[in-house]
Amino acid sequence: MIDRLVLLVRIATRNLLASPINLLIGGLLFFGTIVFVVLGGLLDSLNTSMARSVVGSLAGHVQIYSAKSKDELALFGQMGGDPDLAAMTEFPRLKAALEGLPNVQAVVPMGLSGALITSGNVLDRTLESLRGLYRVKRGEAKDPALGALPPDELDRRIQDEKAHVRQIIKVLRGDVEKATRDLMDAKAVDPENRAALAKVDTQAFWDGFDGDPYGALEFLENRIAPQVTDAPLLFLRYVGTDLDAFQQSFDRMRIVKGTPVPKGQRGFLVAELFYEEQMKLKTARRLDKIKDALALGRVIATDDELKRFVKENRTQTREIVLQLDATKTRAAVGALQRFLGTAEDDLEALLEQLFATTDENFAQRYAFFYEVLAPMLELYRVRIGDTLTIKAFTRSGYVQNVNVKVYGTFAFTGLEKSPLAGNTSLMDIMSFRDLYGYLTSDKAAELKELQQQTGARAVTREDAEAALFGEASGEVVAEATPGVINVEEQLTGTGRKLHQEDLIRRVYTQQEIDEGVVLNAAVMLKDPDRLDETILDIQRLAEAQGLPIRAVSWQKASGLLGQIIQVFRVLLFVGVAIIFFIAMVIINNAMMMATIQRTQTIGTMRAIGAQRSLVLWMVLLESIVLGLVFGGLGMLGGTAIVAAIAAKGIAAPNDVMYFFFSGPRLVPTVTGEPLVVALVIILFVTVASTLFPAMIATRISPLRAMQAEE
Amino acid sequence: MSHIVSIRDVTKDFHLGQTVVQALRGVTLTVDKGDFLSIAGPSGSGKTTLLNLIGCVDTATTGVVEVAGQDTAKLSERELTNLRLNTIGFIFQSFNLVSVLNVFQNVEFPLLLQNKLNAADRKQRVVSLLEQVGLHTHMKHRPNELSGGQRQRVAIARALVTEPLIVLADEPTANLDSATGEAIIDLMKSLNERRGTTFIFSTHDHKVMRHADWVVRLADGKVLGRETPAEAVAHAMGQEVPKEARAS
Repeated sequence: MIDRLVLLVRIATRNLLASPINLLIGGLLFFGTIVFVVLGGLLDSLNTSMARSVVGSLAGHVQIYSAKSKDELALFGQMGGDPDLAAMTEFPRLKAALEGLPNVQAVVPMGLSGALITSGNVLDRTLESLRGLYRVKRGEAKDPALGALPPDELDRRIQDEKAHVRQIIKVLRGDVEKATRDLMDAKAVDPENRAALAKVDTQAFWDGFDGDPYGALEFLENRIAPQVTDAPLLFLRYVGTDLDAFQQSFDRMRIVKGTPVPKGQRGFLVAELFYEEQMKLKTARRLDKIKDALALGRVIATDDELKRFVKENRTQTREIVLQLDATKTRAAVGALQRFLGTAEDDLEALLEQLFATTDENFAQRYAFFYEVLAPMLELYRVRIGDTLTIKAFTRSGYVQNVNVKVYGTFAFTGLEKSPLAGNTSLMDIMSFRDLYGYLTSDKAAELKELQQQTGARAVTREDAEAALFGEASGEVVAEATPGVINVEEQLTGTGRKLHQEDLIRRVYTQQEIDEGVVLNAAVMLKDPDRLDETILDIQRLAEAQGLPIRAVSWQKASGLLGQIIQVFRVLLFVGVAIIFFIAMVIINNAMMMATIQRTQTIGTMRAIGAQRSLVLWMVLLESIVLGLVFGGLGMLGGTAIVAAIAAKGIAAPNDVMYFFFSGPRLVPTVTGEPLVVALVIILFVTVASTLFPAMIATRISPLRAMQAEE
Repeated sequence: MSHIVSIRDVTKDFHLGQTVVQALRGVTLTVDKGDFLSIAGPSGSGKTTLLNLIGCVDTATTGVVEVAGQDTAKLSERELTNLRLNTIGFIFQSFNLVSVLNVFQNVEFPLLLQNKLNAADRKQRVVSLLEQVGLHTHMKHRPNELSGGQRQRVAIARALVTEPLIVLADEPTANLDSATGEAIIDLMKSLNERRGTTFIFSTHDHKVMRHADWVVRLADGKVLGRETPAEAVAHAMGQEVPKEARAS
């Protein structure tokens, strides 16, 4: 048997070498296999690395969400904003059930949303500080830090802050005059605003300040602060989650600045990249970017982007000037004069000179900025430890505020530069529920208390009509007792503030964190290879328990992003299919020709006793050998190419690719899978294209042997 | 003596479009074991058709063809192939060697199809036959590196390698010069005598005919007679058959 096979392979191999067209076919198979193995390997590696990014940064292996949701889950956004997800109300039961599955490691509750935040402008912050100083001076508030200061020092600080405010006013007036002049229209700026500015820029206003400090501060806060536009609104994207579970489950997450949110407490962690990109002083951010670019070998002199950064640094010094009070301005001017060796005494002019950076002086000036100027400045609009006020629209449409303390910033290892992974911040799930008007344990307790105090009865929406107008309508449903709850105090006054401070310090139990609304949840698996199987298990379990959820893979959950690789894969298959189809047509033709040419040989073989099956195999083997030889070479070549690429790795060409590469470099590998698939394709192509000529060959009669050669 | 080939009232028709060509018209013939038989006749007399029927590569339109005791009309395609493989050796006019195989491999080929001997036995058999045909020094040569006579000797070795009962040769010398042709016939004759293998060969060459034990002369699809070579040659040349040449 083996001997016969060896003979057939020998005939096949010899026949192959006999025909030059086989070289063309072999070349096509070789090329097609190389393309398939190299691109397939790259796509596989890309898929694996993207999976690491998606799974490790937000999605987990499986995402679950309510089956009642209008949209499908899309963690990285979709056309037309965030998907509309229905709330999952029985999360504790679901979590317990899922964590009972053998392959489930953890279930992390989530809710994805975004909100506009404002951190207050520099004038707001200065006035706030001034108000605090006055309250301490007048004995109206106790501040352990300020209270210990001698009265002289307190006065000096008040004078400093006042000088800072006056400096801001001066800059602002300059802006207004410039705007009026540039537009040649006196009405370009609201006359009332101009009048207010003119008033606070008079000596009389400041002479009378101490007489009624709170009145003066209120005027500044209401009429002047809104004119300062250095603090635009920021759009913040965040996930409300069980922060402890998140930190444990997503092990690539690490704290960059500050500390983790203490266990069970409310808190906010800003994505490091967002913190740097959006919250850092623009000038400092641009200096950082120039530094990074220079380290990569780019040159200011010839690089348009870097030239633009330098220009913007020179012209946009106002953000810095506004931050410096009189004392700091004096210090900064002195330092700049010494550093630049000039007698210029205008801060703006000095800064402009400092930021005229070139390839030669950049390193020095960068160091000067961070060593001397930065300590006088607020480098970030939100400081670690600050409380952030987040405003969002609840599901029912009203605006809700939530204050959360910023504990620090975080990043995912390897994805530090990726905007896709670095734009989503983290919030505790309690604050998230508050923001979206979902019932939290606090709210439930508060509601219960209110009901007891007022004697109100909870009436559901469905029963409201009956309760108001039905049989029992004679009795009063609710009667508020004036004075029991001071609504104003509760909602806006100190009560609310105290309440919120309590909330910030409060430690929640795991049960409180779990109980309540969850929009989606990440399921971490022990063995990610059994993904599909586990999704089925989850679906079956949820169905059996009467929990209406959908379970989707990370790929599906990542929306459009997850489909990109699939699209590339389809394109690759189409491309390779075209190459192999051409090969099939040529093989078919070539084998038909060969069969016709070998009629007498095949007839002779039949005459001397070869069965038809032998002839069939002889012809099939010829192209199978062709396929295996050239396909095998293609596999070797492809693997070698991928290995050569892997030796250096492919550097991420831009920040977006960091996410796909799951780090700065993609190191591709060829796994067995594309090789096996390539082998199957080659066998299919060769056998399918030779089947017809082979059948024809088996029909050749042994009589043909008897006919003399033409 | 048993008949190794027995043909009775065989006709063979070929259809060429609307016309029917009768290649054989009621042929009856027996061949005995060990015969060295020539089938003679002019072109179109039905020599090759008769050989095809004996060689089981074609079947009769009517009549009975028995080869090695088996009625070929009753055998399936697969059984006919096996009969050819194990009972019959073929020698062709154009040698018909497999061009991509060397001399040794060409001769070994039928043994591989039979799948009865191991590699060592095959080698011994092939080498011994190549020695008998005088080509054991050319075992690694490809057919295109050999002369016509050498090629036909390879073909003879290939035909004999399975130790068949019958060897059929269709005009084995037609593509050879006369000296080489005679040498080939001599070789066949000596193998016939040494091994007792039945040889049936067609020819229209008188010199070749002379080596046969018997000549079956065909014309227009009919057997004219079973004659001695001398009678056959004389008939073929249109002469009176010399008395001493007549069959007894």
